[in-house]
Amino acid sequence: MKKQLLDLDKSHNEGVENISAEERRNFLKMGLTLTGVFASGTLFSLVGSAQKVFASDAAFVEKYPYKPHYSMMVHVDRCIDCERCKKACAMTNDVPDYGFRTNILEREVPNAIGVKTEFIPVLCNHCNLSQCTRVCPTKATYKNPSNGIVMMDTTKCIGCLSCQMACPYNARYFHEEKMAVDKCSFCWESRLSKGEKLTACAEACPAGARIFGDLSNPKDQVYKKVHQIEKTVWVLRPEAGTKPNVFYTRG
Amino acid sequence: MSPNSNSGGLTLNGLERQVVSRMKSGSNRYFVVVLIFGLLMLAGSIAGLMATVGGHHVYYNVNRELAWGVLISTYVYFVVTSTGLCLVSSIGHIFGVESFMPLAKRAVFLAIVTLCAGFFVICAEIKVPIRMMLYNIISPNLTSNIWWMGTLYGVALAVMILEFIFLYTNKVKLAVICGFTAAVGEIAANSNLAGVFGLLNGRDFWHGAFLPIFFIGSAVMTGAAALIFFHVLAYRVNHEIMDDPMLRAMQGCRKVAILGICIVSFFTIWRMVSLVAGEPSGAYLGAMAMIKGSYAFSFWVFEIGFALVLPLILYIRSQGTNLRMMLVASTLMIIGLFFMRYNMVIVGQAIPVYYSLGVNGSKELIKYFPSYLEILVTLGGFGLTGFLFLLGEKVFGGHKMDAHH
Amino acid sequence: MKKSASICIGILFVSFLSLAGLALGEDHGGDIHYSAPVVGVLFSHAVHVDENGFDCESCHDGLFEYEALAAQNQPDFNMKSLYEGKYCGACHDGDTAFASDTRCTLCHEGVKGYNRALGITTADATHHE
Repeated sequence: MKKQLLDLDKSHNEGVENISAEERRNFLKMGLTLTGVFASGTLFSLVGSAQKVFASDAAFVEKYPYKPHYSMMVHVDRCIDCERCKKACAMTNDVPDYGFRTNILEREVPNAIGVKTEFIPVLCNHCNLSQCTRVCPTKATYKNPSNGIVMMDTTKCIGCLSCQMACPYNARYFHEEKMAVDKCSFCWESRLSKGEKLTACAEACPAGARIFGDLSNPKDQVYKKVHQIEKTVWVLRPEAGTKPNVFYTRG
Repeated sequence: MSPNSNSGGLTLNGLERQVVSRMKSGSNRYFVVVLIFGLLMLAGSIAGLMATVGGHHVYYNVNRELAWGVLISTYVYFVVTSTGLCLVSSIGHIFGVESFMPLAKRAVFLAIVTLCAGFFVICAEIKVPIRMMLYNIISPNLTSNIWWMGTLYGVALAVMILEFIFLYTNKVKLAVICGFTAAVGEIAANSNLAGVFGLLNGRDFWHGAFLPIFFIGSAVMTGAAALIFFHVLAYRVNHEIMDDPMLRAMQGCRKVAILGICIVSFFTIWRMVSLVAGEPSGAYLGAMAMIKGSYAFSFWVFEIGFALVLPLILYIRSQGTNLRMMLVASTLMIIGLFFMRYNMVIVGQAIPVYYSLGVNGSKELIKYFPSYLEILVTLGGFGLTGFLFLLGEKVFGGHKMDAHH
Repeated sequence: MKKSASICIGILFVSFLSLAGLALGEDHGGDIHYSAPVVGVLFSHAVHVDENGFDCESCHDGLFEYEALAAQNQPDFNMKSLYEGKYCGACHDGDTAFASDTRCTLCHEGVKGYNRALGITTADATHHE
């Protein structure tokens, strides 16, 4: 289009019906660009979580190539809420008393026949499709590509707390002294990276309610318990779609 | 009113003389109000600084499960207003609708001001703002709605400032390009803001594709109301009567506001119906709290009454000519919208994440009420808006569009 | 005068004790909350004495001391001992009563149950409606 200074006083409205087809096409293209740009942010945000998703809950475990693929099996009927796991975790990982990395939930069913109370240990599920790593604006939290643990890079955390919002499991809290969000790391820095085989909570449990293991090893306890169909194995809040790595069972 | 209309060219002295004379034309009441807003801004800044240094866990009432309080909802309120202002005014100078054109300068100015107010409030909410400045740039996460939103709003702010300069230096074509870019950026940023809430599978109350659409609809509604509100007030501050083009602009905004109210009302009704009819776990708890629980007053009086029903009635009855009625309607809407954002942000978190497990401590809504410092920071945001708006009226001489625009 | 006075005081004292006994509920030890080796194990005298009709000698004849919580000072007060028939395991072996390795939370009230029973509140509870 030839550039010329527009004299707006002398110009007049030519009417919509007089616009050429080319001008109409250009306008439509502009509109599509507009749509594309404002959708792109949202699309990008979805693309990150549209990894190869597999429908079968049993199959997904094999599709994530972590070695070792750390995970935990919780026996809900064995937990007695002694909370030794919480104490061990706090001592091992510098957890302040206003926060927790792992918690015990209490479910009371007064009308139940037999046992009327159930204790459910909860902790970070180190999800395969974690929402927290998707929403972090600075990649301060990320999934370790070799062992699947969802880790924190405390230097980059800006304290926006989006990860706390995104987590379906209330696994995260803001650590005031570190000035960053903190959560269970499967005792990576404190124990696993130093050669220990178990997390502090799994070792401290007197009732064998927490079995820590490796899903990439077919001989592992947790692998065997997850890959059988006789005893029910479930995950918390499957509707959140995060594909957790902490499993629950009874018996 | 351009600076080079008095003397032969643009001189700093000439500019200064003009601005000073305009400032002196303000009445005593004007300066008192400016002072009050300035003090509010100062109080908010001090409160925010105290909390950032002393620790949010000491000074704010947010906690592990309900981490986003009134500061986030206020931020949402201000930036959605900015998007609305940008969008509605773009009907004029981007889409070329004649009647909206006189709004351009003030609308862009206000879009910048409200965006700044939003950033003011969010700085007091982000726990480590210094890291944000650095790592948002060197370590971006492209799957993060928050990153996109922050970046796009930042870009939009810069572009709008450019657009404002171009409008005042009569570089029309550049202003239009900037305006278009800013509008695109604002819409994209607003959608991502909604995505921050709407893409979270773990939060039943927010999750859903409807939220970005709802946000844009409510942005349009907010923008139209804000334009009427600020323009009517501005003419009072400047002791002027609106001329015909401006009155037509007001009527145009009124129509957009009515349309926006209808869209948002439709969304709100169907959303509430779907939450109550299907009783989706968790979200149902939130819906009932808003319909007849602890958030019922805020919902029925502010979100439905102030923000939707009353303004609709008043706008229709004003017939586009009764400016006073339109001002009242816009004021009610601006108040009601604040509570609409508050309800959305707070109720969504008040539902415990483990509600569906039926465990102790997760059976009822989590309680929250803002602390004194949070309220002060919120007021500081409003103070900043009022302060800059009033100053802008004098400094920019009423944001008049030139005769031949 | 002094003799009748002391008789009066004696009667009052005995009545007070019996009232205290009545106030305690019944003539047994009430709820016992163990805190070692793990926190929060409940033994309910009401369930064993009132509901199931056991008399004192059923347990307090070698299994348990009359003194409350004496057992938790013993180094062998653990589940292994129960499985071997000591302490609660004398009856809770699967025949007389449910086995000790089943129905855990009937007795294990946990830290939460313990704190509730003793009225201990923790500072980090989130405010709920």
